Amino acid sequence: MGKVTADEVQKWLIDKIAERLGEQPSAIPPGQYFDELDMDSTEALIIAGEMESWLGFELGTTALWYHPTIEALSAHIAEESARHGATA
Amino acid sequence: MARRPDATSPPKLLLRHRDAAPGAGTVYAVHPGALPVGLWTGLSGALPPETGFAVLDLGAVPEYGEAALAPESSRLTIDHLIDLLTTAYRADRDRTGADDAGTVLVGWSFGGVLAHGLTERLEPRERPLSVVLLDSIAPTDAYQHTEGDEIDPSLVLRWFAMFLGARRGAEVRPSPVPDGADAEAALTVLLADAIGAGALPPGTPLSGVRKLFEAYTAGLLRNNRLTAPYRPAPATVPLVQIKAGDSLIPTDPTLGWEELAGRGISAHSAPGDHYTMLIRPDASQAIAGLVPPLRPAHLVSTRRPSP
Repeated sequence: MGKVTADEVQKWLIDKIAERLGEQPSAIPPGQYFDELDMDSTEALIIAGEMESWLGFELGTTALWYHPTIEALSAHIAEESARHGATA
Repeated sequence: MARRPDATSPPKLLLRHRDAAPGAGTVYAVHPGALPVGLWTGLSGALPPETGFAVLDLGAVPEYGEAALAPESSRLTIDHLIDLLTTAYRADRDRTGADDAGTVLVGWSFGGVLAHGLTERLEPRERPLSVVLLDSIAPTDAYQHTEGDEIDPSLVLRWFAMFLGARRGAEVRPSPVPDGADAEAALTVLLADAIGAGALPPGTPLSGVRKLFEAYTAGLLRNNRLTAPYRPAPATVPLVQIKAGDSLIPTDPTLGWEELAGRGISAHSAPGDHYTMLIRPDASQAIAGLVPPLRPAHLVSTRRPSP
């Protein structure tokens, strides 16, 4: 995976979370806190691991902690992706 | 799921389930994370209805989560956690009044270490009648990890299998891993076992379970690091150890607490494994039956033998 934008990450995350929850992607609000979605920490970490495979780089261990919404995490990952692209 | 960090307001440590009836006592449970804090409704519901019940939730302490996720920048100590618990406990005792039948502290897993530490921090008149340890390993030299941050990988995989199963009400029996297999190979085998047992959905990627395993191990390592420099005082109240039928350490009936039991210890067991003992209704019933009574004498029913 090359450099990704915040919109691309947000779409990927929403699709995965919707699949896990059995919802339509349109039902997943990107501004909602992760801990308010009907997912437990196990599911969230599994999605995070899957996302690392998709991105091709590891997320910091505190990424979900400090960026606790889909929107915020997507923006953070886009920045990280740009940084990885710049140093690759 | 990660909680929202909030450095601006003090953590809400104490979750009140039920106030005690007039004259009755309160059970305080110390929850160390790893499982949802809401699971304590099982024990709360199994206790006599006049008994008050509250949970002291370490998951509400941001530094506690950060100590697992970002250990290099953490200065957290067990003494600091005990400070926070002591403040919350005293505030709740002030709110509810101290003229009841006393308290019992219950601590599951690492929560047992903190329940004991909290007890010994309190003034004698404030202390609980006893501390009930639920499959909790003592913070003594016998269980200290002296080889840096290493924990026996085969032991951790067994515990992780229990953890995965508990989340979905399944039993994951790890298949043997070939000698010399690395962690990645062992996780691949465990992933197949967990999917087969229904603990993880089909299609769960190895990268996902690896991330989960890393977070699980980070919590264990945090607790080891916190415990390493900690020197607990001998207990000044009786201890009750209730091990899970499938305990973390099957061979030691008190999990090392005998060494700290200045006022004696009794050893029991409850159905389930280290995690499901907080989930299974039969385990909640068994644990509730072993919690020392907190009811005032006039509320205790005395059953006469049948003629």
